[in-house]
Amino acid sequence: MSRFVLVGGGVASAATATGLREAGFDGEIVIVAAEPHLPYERPPLSKEYLAGTFAVEDFRANPEDWYAQHDVELVLGTRVEALRPAERRVSLSDGRALGYDALVLATGVRARTLDGFAGERVHALRTLADSQRLGERLSAGRHLVILGAGFIGCEVAAVAAERGVRVTVFEPEPLPLGRVLGPEFGRAIVDIHREHGVAIRTGEVVTAMTETGAGLELTTRDGEIVACDELLVGVGSVPNVELAVEAGLAVERGILTDEYGRTSAPDVYAIGDVAERLHPEHGRRLRVEHHDTAVKHGGNLARTLLGHAEPFTGQHFFWSHQYDHNLQSLGQLTGEGETVIRGSVEDRSFAIFSLVGGRIAAMVALDRPRDVLQARKVMGVPHEVTAEQLADQDVALKSLLPRGAGARRSEVVR
Amino acid sequence: MAETATWQWHVVMPLDDLWEGEMEAVEVDGRSVLLVNHEGEVYAYKNRCPHQEWPLHDGDLDEKELTCANHLWVFDVTTGKGVNPSNCALIGYQCTVDDDGNILVGLA
Repeated sequence: MSRFVLVGGGVASAATATGLREAGFDGEIVIVAAEPHLPYERPPLSKEYLAGTFAVEDFRANPEDWYAQHDVELVLGTRVEALRPAERRVSLSDGRALGYDALVLATGVRARTLDGFAGERVHALRTLADSQRLGERLSAGRHLVILGAGFIGCEVAAVAAERGVRVTVFEPEPLPLGRVLGPEFGRAIVDIHREHGVAIRTGEVVTAMTETGAGLELTTRDGEIVACDELLVGVGSVPNVELAVEAGLAVERGILTDEYGRTSAPDVYAIGDVAERLHPEHGRRLRVEHHDTAVKHGGNLARTLLGHAEPFTGQHFFWSHQYDHNLQSLGQLTGEGETVIRGSVEDRSFAIFSLVGGRIAAMVALDRPRDVLQARKVMGVPHEVTAEQLADQDVALKSLLPRGAGARRSEVVR
Repeated sequence: MAETATWQWHVVMPLDDLWEGEMEAVEVDGRSVLLVNHEGEVYAYKNRCPHQEWPLHDGDLDEKELTCANHLWVFDVTTGKGVNPSNCALIGYQCTVDDDGNILVGLA
């Protein structure tokens, strides 16, 4: 009987297992995860779980009883210590060795740390335990400093501010998320946070930290001392590639794979955040840290493992919630092409499109879910649009699709 | 037990007001219900995505696929089953059309 071993406790592993069982695979499936929890979705860690509106059961990848019902073995709180592709075998931190017919590396990423910034009041946000620990410290009136106004930093700032915490965010760039989303977005996000009382200090860097009896003292590059109770370091991530590197797999910014998720070692695959995967439509390898992509990689890999290999060509999608605002993005915003704004930046209801050769290459939207749904369909088929059409709100995005049958009345047949 | 009709029928709206390929959120007995007309067949679901409980009526209906506007989860409206991801399902309600062309929803 075949045995597939999935390494990692996130949605990429869970989606692979789900896809395998749904397709009727009746061999062994073993999920090995370093965290002690059932596989769970990470987006709520900086949003609903941190805010206290979700319990752990609300964002599991599969219900608790699914694994037993589907005969999927969970080896939790356990690391894979070594991978020997030539022997098709992994060694686990509990002393076991497991042979495999296929091995899936879905080890994800970890939070990047900064030298000199560690201790009891210093936080990262990547795991359930991180979120729980930070959440316990977010009581009203305390002062939280966040290093980095990326998505984690901005989302935590929003939750903390809504819980009555005083929040200061240091961001070395002139605008948060500016490099990814463009200046209009960056400015809107700064304004939204400031209106909620968050101090966003752009172009400023914290260079040192000391622990005092009462809390932390931070020193800025300009020599200012800032006192705070808690510190969140949100300065990006590091892919968990060590196992692959030690096993001799090809690794650059992530574990290199082809369009099917195959690594350089036979029967070893990599998916999710850790994979730097060839995307045929982009014509290059991309490492993407989106929840949605990780789930889709899992479903795609299940088909590949069962002999129905197809390249993964899906659009990349991510979202962020901050306060009452909903940010959504499709495609890869690379800064190339013409930038077109649809909607009103002042009213904070707008989408920004990247138009390349008459095609929508990517978009990001603030509180425009309908535009996102319609753009997604347009982006999924051959299309040709102009900047004027995209900018004109009287032109529905779906009108750019090939004409199909419209709505019609139903006959009552009884 | 399964054969016993334990739900209460509620007249919701005329079928004429819900065109094929359309969906609409209605309130039935204090609950938000999503009605979907796919090729003349009407389906009723709890108007909440099973992922994070966002309302579904802002989503997109394309043939039989309903996409939630928030995180782009996709469901088959003829079965309620998740398409992407597949390990979830909409919560369905009893639904029928009477001889007068009214849509009825049955709530337990």
